[in-house]
Amino acid sequence: METMGRYTLPVLALVVLAFVPMVVEASFTRHLFIIAFIYAIIASNWNLSLGHCGIFNFGHLTFFGVGSYTAAIAAKTYGVDPWVAILLGGPAAAVAAFLMAAPVARLKGIYVVLVTFAFGQLAMQLVLSQSDITGGAQGMVRIPYLRLGEYSFLKDYKLGYYYVALGLLVVSTIFIKLVIDSPFGKSLKAVRDSEEYAAARGVSVSRQRVMVLVLSAIFTGVAGGFYSIYLRVASPEVFGFGTLSLALSMVLIGGAGTIYGPIAAAIALTFATEALAGVRGLEEARFIVIAVAMILVLRLAPGGLLRLFEPLVPKALRQR
Amino acid sequence: MIDTLIATLVSGLVLGSLYALMASGLSVVWTTLGVFNFSHGALMMVSAFVAWTVSEALGLGLLVGIAAGTLSAALVGIIIERLLVRPFYGDRNMLLITVMTTLAAMIILEKSALIIWGARLKQLPRLIEGEISIFGATISAHEALLVALAPLLLIAIWQFTVRSTVGRSLRAVGQNQESASLIGIDVSKAFAIAFGLSAALAGLTGALLGSIRFITPTMGSEPLVKAMIVVIFGGLGSLGATAGAAYVIGIIEALLILWLGLYWTPFALFLLMIVVLVFRPNGIFGGRE
Repeated sequence: METMGRYTLPVLALVVLAFVPMVVEASFTRHLFIIAFIYAIIASNWNLSLGHCGIFNFGHLTFFGVGSYTAAIAAKTYGVDPWVAILLGGPAAAVAAFLMAAPVARLKGIYVVLVTFAFGQLAMQLVLSQSDITGGAQGMVRIPYLRLGEYSFLKDYKLGYYYVALGLLVVSTIFIKLVIDSPFGKSLKAVRDSEEYAAARGVSVSRQRVMVLVLSAIFTGVAGGFYSIYLRVASPEVFGFGTLSLALSMVLIGGAGTIYGPIAAAIALTFATEALAGVRGLEEARFIVIAVAMILVLRLAPGGLLRLFEPLVPKALRQR
Repeated sequence: MIDTLIATLVSGLVLGSLYALMASGLSVVWTTLGVFNFSHGALMMVSAFVAWTVSEALGLGLLVGIAAGTLSAALVGIIIERLLVRPFYGDRNMLLITVMTTLAAMIILEKSALIIWGARLKQLPRLIEGEISIFGATISAHEALLVALAPLLLIAIWQFTVRSTVGRSLRAVGQNQESASLIGIDVSKAFAIAFGLSAALAGLTGALLGSIRFITPTMGSEPLVKAMIVVIFGGLGSLGATAGAAYVIGIIEALLILWLGLYWTPFALFLLMIVVLVFRPNGIFGGRE
């Protein structure tokens, strides 16, 4: 009975999202949903290392960028099937995460922030300097699109892309939930809440950190691959401050350390920023609005906005 | 060959001076408050824009402009401290939270600058015209001024923190807040002073840089990222180590540009930094944290 209760809300949300394309036929609205799903994957996986394990990881978007460029190069330069190219983003990002985690696992506090951040810059500089492979500052364009047999995904107002993105989000969320609920996930919380105690109980802090960074990179990389194939562009912008702060605000506003918070926030914020972009004179100001919202949430509701609604949800339905 | 090397070293010295000014500001805030200010580069940019408005648009002269820029950066810095850093003192996650709030401050400042001043490139005139030759390597007099000014400012800050009562109170607060407040030091005032001083330093650097580089809303991010490399090399704990690391990085960067070219240099720098961290987690000069 309790299990049923725990899954009611997420499943209900999924059913609603699955029926959205029946109601919404506008290509642009569907596009917003697809982008929201991608951000939801980024934010919820970032939360795995930042919220659940307490690693000050500011290089999460690097995994996304690595996945994005891996898929773009595989599909365009080497003619790999776009489906396979998307999936290749996962292992490529995991390798990048492992490379980053090696120095980070031994560091503490602010140095973790600095190194993970610098790692993202390193990746961006590599992309910029290898312009014959990556297109440099211009990025890559006209990347092959998805097909299924004879069916081109460019048809039907993005219907196909919508369900692929939603499917990716569902698989990624189930994966995160499995990780969190496993004994490994509990040891992550121990590392976050009391490093010394965790170590005293035989948890290898460095190893858990490396593992969680690698795990959080997998679906982020796949999402990056999908992003390139879907938009048919790969650009170094994904490594920049802008994308980083948008994804970070989703984690914070949704609630670090929750499972569904960042997903809800990603969908809400994608639509909110897009709505603000439609208002004349607010094209740039919307980033200010998001930054202010982020500060207010940190100040007033450190657990994330979703937590504020928690008392309204019956206890049986609560899911952390 | 020797000429090229000297020219490279001199340009490394210019870079090193810029990084030293940036990184020492970060270090002052870090040693006093335990906060890493991500908006430090944006403060530099604010000052450059204000200096441009005052001296070019209003025509009040460059010196007035630089002073106005520096003051406005200090003011914005104090506001950031009050609104975005102070509410989180004593929080268990203060370090992480203030990284996020100052990152948000950076976005707010950059986007506001874009809205206020637009995307058109601007530049300040030089404080001193003409060129200066150092061992046969020519640089502009303005850059030479930066090179000369940097060590003077660094020594001034160092003497301030060692000798003056206010400066010593900053260090006391950095070492132990409770004890500092017990012996009558106004801790919150010390925090505001540290932030204001650091921001003023960023402001002065930005106003001077506005004559060398173009003034854009994102002009602060590249120096900030370089300053981050510097503090990783030198550690954040001591002003001397930070400043030393800044010059080392500046010269390494100039040599790398000569040797590898402009494209590969940032990559090589970051790679070098990560390698250093694997073996010396507290930086090359950073003994303890």
